[in-house]
Amino acid sequence: MSQSDILVRLVNLKKTYFSGPLSVPVLKGINFEVKKGTFVGIIGTSGSGKSTLLNILGMLDIPTEGKYILEDIEVEKLSDSELANIRNRKIGFIFQSFNLFPHLTVEQNIEVPMLYARVPAKERRQRAIELAKEVKLGHRLGHKPTQLSGGECQRVAVARALSNRPAFLLADEPTGNLDEKTSIEIMKLFHALHESGSTIIMVTHNPALESHFDQVIRLRDGLTEDTVGEVTQ
Amino acid sequence: MILPRDLLSLSLHNLFLHKVRSILTSLGVIFGVGSVIAMLAISEGAKQKALAQLDALGIDKIIVYSKKPPVEAQQQNSNNTQLVNYGLTTKDIGNFAKMDNIASITKLRDSRQPILRGLNRLSTKLAAVDIGFMTESNSKMISGRWLTPADYENRSLVCVLGENAKRKLFTLQTNLLGKTVKVGKYRLRIVGILSNDVGANYPEVGDPNDIIFIPSTTMYSLLKNYAPDSTRIEYDLSLVKVQDIAYIDDTAKRIRSYMEKAHANKQDWDLVVPLDLLKQREATQNIFTIVMSSIASISLIVGGIGIMNIMLASVFERRKEIGTRRALGAQKSDILCQFLIETVLLTTIGGVLGIFTGIGISQLITIYADMPSVYSSWSIITSLAIACFVGIVFGTYPAWKAAQQNPIEVLRSE
Repeated sequence: MSQSDILVRLVNLKKTYFSGPLSVPVLKGINFEVKKGTFVGIIGTSGSGKSTLLNILGMLDIPTEGKYILEDIEVEKLSDSELANIRNRKIGFIFQSFNLFPHLTVEQNIEVPMLYARVPAKERRQRAIELAKEVKLGHRLGHKPTQLSGGECQRVAVARALSNRPAFLLADEPTGNLDEKTSIEIMKLFHALHESGSTIIMVTHNPALESHFDQVIRLRDGLTEDTVGEVTQ
Repeated sequence: MILPRDLLSLSLHNLFLHKVRSILTSLGVIFGVGSVIAMLAISEGAKQKALAQLDALGIDKIIVYSKKPPVEAQQQNSNNTQLVNYGLTTKDIGNFAKMDNIASITKLRDSRQPILRGLNRLSTKLAAVDIGFMTESNSKMISGRWLTPADYENRSLVCVLGENAKRKLFTLQTNLLGKTVKVGKYRLRIVGILSNDVGANYPEVGDPNDIIFIPSTTMYSLLKNYAPDSTRIEYDLSLVKVQDIAYIDDTAKRIRSYMEKAHANKQDWDLVVPLDLLKQREATQNIFTIVMSSIASISLIVGGIGIMNIMLASVFERRKEIGTRRALGAQKSDILCQFLIETVLLTTIGGVLGIFTGIGISQLITIYADMPSVYSSWSIITSLAIACFVGIVFGTYPAWKAAQQNPIEVLRSE
């Protein structure tokens, strides 16, 4: 694969938290690359630095040292406003507890990232309907999240994450709040998206999901323990 | 940055989600703005009423009138006779006429004749006036005619009834022209009915509507014994009209100094310059407005603090929403604007409701306390601007606080 196929590159990335005189190193030098179109799993127990890595990958936080390059953008050089812009256009967040807006309908929830991308209302609605159909919720457009099952909620969240056609989807334990049957359903959705070309980075503590990923990055104690390349199912 | 239209609908949506809370929150502003509107309406009404009354007296006039002197002054000057002479004299009027800047002098003299209906004495006065009185008092005829030069020349036994005098004497009867009013042994033929709807009210004489007018010449020739209460007054009232209103104060000063000399120690006269009263009224009005607006601003500040409090609580309650929005790409400024506009909308909607509340309050005052209320577009625009301003002032801190929420922390605290 050529250089231009590399979507995400982390070079000796470190994150240290400072609290008064104390410094707590959380990430101690992370190195990995994610190629376009891969389904990557970052697996780690709690305390491994998983959340911190997720925040950095999601551009909610910046590394203390090292490099995070997304496409050809170097993250550490960016201002708060530019980071928000990249989050909006390049990253599709999917949360463990869905984080849907309870007072908005399915359609309005899907529209939120497009709102911040200044997409005109008409176009937003069209895209939202299109995406809702893609996650098989075309018949639920006017429903509120409280009227949906957990699995349906997560599908709305996936549709929302896709709305601005991001560079990659960043999923944080997307099946953590779901039962087994629904989890399988959601994982199937991710595979479908993967097959249609999406790059997905999924952070989880659950080693059982390992078999789903093209590439597994294990985190232990702030270090990438072992990178398994090209595991095919 | 989010599109302004979307921002507005987002903020409105959030307010409508919590209708009761929004209304309770903006109560302070509702009553604050309500009291501003009511205060302005009532004070404007009072001002206009006062202005109209003063205007009715005529701003180009100096009113010089006779008044009953206090008892001590009477004893000093009366030499123990029963008959008391006081007030404006023909000589005084003659001297006024010689002064500069005088356009005309219109005189009125009360006959002090009892006007009876059956055996009841009415509060109606019979007064002899100069021919110019109708115009100078801003009155108009509602039927018949005013006194004519011929009436004066012939000393005719004719009279013009003020509107109230007519009602007291004849209740609802119509077609009174040609009928007579009996005063003493004379019968006065009614030639017209006069109305003064500008609210003129002359010192010591009162409302022209309560007067029966006769030509001054008629009075001198026929009703000589006009002083049953042992007083003799030549004139009760004179309306001194000036040529140039700019020098009205000088003219008034000159009249005053003349009268002080001519009526030394008598205290049997006084002088009113409606224009001066008007200026004084305006000054008092301004003080009233300042006092009222400081009270209203206190209620607006209290209302604003209440809103700030609720908005801060709302920011805390909606941390997860803020964090999610930030993760999905909202700028800090998007969050700031969202919350600021929410607060401003809250206070502005409160302001609109406050305007209706204020109109309601002032209407109640108008109905129950008989004080007129006048609404100006100026007062409505001002109070809306104030409401908006309160929202900006008290919404900025909560909005800033919302924008400062760290998305990492709020997303973790689930």
